[in-house]
Amino acid sequence: MEWANDGKSKGGVLAHLERLEIQVNRSRKNLEDPQRAQAVESALGTKIHKLRCLRDELRAEVKQRQARVKASTVNVEPDQTLEISEQEVAERRKENVKAILQAYRFTGLSGKLTSRGVCVCISTAFEGNLLDSYFIDLVIQKPLRIHHHSIPVFIPLEEISVKHLQTNIQHFLFCLCEYLNAYAGRKYQADRLQSDFAAFLAGPLRRNSLCNLLSFTYKVEPRGQSFPFCARLLYKDLTTALPTDVTVTYQGMDALSPAWEEQRASHENLFFSKPLHQVFTSFARKGEKLDMSLVS
Amino acid sequence: MDETLAEFIKRTILKIPMTEMMTVLKAWDFLSEKQLQTVNFRQRKEPLVHDLVLLCEEKRASVHDAALLDIIYTQFHRHQKVWDVFQMSKEPGEDIDLFDMEQFKSSFVKILRRALKNVTVSFRDAEENSVWIRIAWGTQYRKPNQYKPVYVVYYSQTPYVFTSCCQLKSNIPLLGQALTIASNHHKIVKMDLRSRYLDSLKAIVFKQYNQNFETHNTAMPLQERTLELDIHMDSRIIHENRIEKERVQRVTQEAFGDYPQPRLEFAQYKLETKFKSDFNGDILAERKEPLRCLIKFSSPHLLEALKALAPAGIADAPLSPLLTCIPNKGMNYFKIRDK
Repeated sequence: MEWANDGKSKGGVLAHLERLEIQVNRSRKNLEDPQRAQAVESALGTKIHKLRCLRDELRAEVKQRQARVKASTVNVEPDQTLEISEQEVAERRKENVKAILQAYRFTGLSGKLTSRGVCVCISTAFEGNLLDSYFIDLVIQKPLRIHHHSIPVFIPLEEISVKHLQTNIQHFLFCLCEYLNAYAGRKYQADRLQSDFAAFLAGPLRRNSLCNLLSFTYKVEPRGQSFPFCARLLYKDLTTALPTDVTVTYQGMDALSPAWEEQRASHENLFFSKPLHQVFTSFARKGEKLDMSLVS
Repeated sequence: MDETLAEFIKRTILKIPMTEMMTVLKAWDFLSEKQLQTVNFRQRKEPLVHDLVLLCEEKRASVHDAALLDIIYTQFHRHQKVWDVFQMSKEPGEDIDLFDMEQFKSSFVKILRRALKNVTVSFRDAEENSVWIRIAWGTQYRKPNQYKPVYVVYYSQTPYVFTSCCQLKSNIPLLGQALTIASNHHKIVKMDLRSRYLDSLKAIVFKQYNQNFETHNTAMPLQERTLELDIHMDSRIIHENRIEKERVQRVTQEAFGDYPQPRLEFAQYKLETKFKSDFNGDILAERKEPLRCLIKFSSPHLLEALKALAPAGIADAPLSPLLTCIPNKGMNYFKIRDK
């Protein structure tokens, strides 16, 4: 019922009566309504209560589920790791085998099959030091032939292959191994002398590609009290790393005193029997001993 | 120091590019640090060279010092010369070669001087137990001509010798004799191999050009790796004749390998063959004498160019073995006759 909002009643007495009637009806309703309102109120209240309960239940269930999921993932992991570890085991085995094949290098002679034959690797060593590796790629055909290789040109590969390649490949490879290891050993000794014992040398070390001729002038004591000796080492056997001919001479006008002559002869023997760098190491140690004796 | 020597030193230093000047002078090791410090290297080349020549005069440079400078310049600019290759051989069953560099040098000089008094011989030791020899030739009555020397590069205990092309051809037999005797060999023969690229010649005769070897360290066998062509790179491109392309690639890889090719500038084929024709009654076909013709392939990098021919579709694969045998046989000069 829309009332005019200007506060003035409109329409005379009958209208006024109508209004009053309506008012009474309303207030009567309001008297009745509290009950209804209360009923509605209580209904709503119970609804709220119900919903709250439901909410709490749901919250509790969510928590439970989360806990269950966590627990179940913990339980599930062992299963997955079982799968992974099978794969891992296979991978590890493969890596292992690969590593073993790669480690065969350390035996000195190893190889890998190729589409046309085999690629042989000769790894040289001297006194427990691993030195250079050389390769020969062989084509397995009749006749057996070398496809390409990394053997230095001054090693007599032609000669060795003419003698042995077609008749006895094992012998061919062992022969080559011998030559290469001996060359690597001689080269190692010459390099060691040049780098570690340069102080003992009075002049450059003369050498050649095969390192089978070494010529140098040296002093037993680097600080110049001893006489300089000239050494000439020949390695006529290319399969060994020790010299076959040694000549130690004295560079000077006067004759050597018997003591120095003894030293010269002993040096010759030393060069015959021991690798070069070991001979010089022993010179260095003797020098230290002398120093110690001077000090004490 | 006489005028001709001063002039020679001046011209040698003038050849050196400014960027290399310090490096070359230090390698020469004739002028001391102190002396070099007194020179202004920022001035223009001509006054710089003038100053350097004065220092050389002060220090009394000899012909041998100047020759050494010439060797060093040539070592830096080896591509400016064309190199020939000679192969020496020994009698079978000879003793082990105990090569002594000093003995070689003195023997070499002795043999040359015995035949020719007027000759300047200089040596410079180089890497891998090798030596560079410079020889300036004179005659019985004339002093050596320092402007036309011959260079020889020799790696000890190998049968190969590399020489820069000698204009005075009459001296070659003497040079060959000196090298053979001094290095304990019996015979020397000129190979049919020539190039500007000394390092490539060395790689070819020492058989060092293919250094790819299969080991257990490589991930995949070499052949498989190279067959993963560009063909598979872009999936939007469909290749027709894919099978043929792969065949060509495989055949090329078998012939040339998958390593960088040694560098040569040409291959020359001298043909003395009868003319072969499909037409009967062709005048040339009736000719009894063989035709002579010369075919020369030139390229900044001949072997790489030949390798690219079949994959580029310009030639059929496999290429003629006359082209693919070049590094293997160590030849780039061929004479072909009818069998």
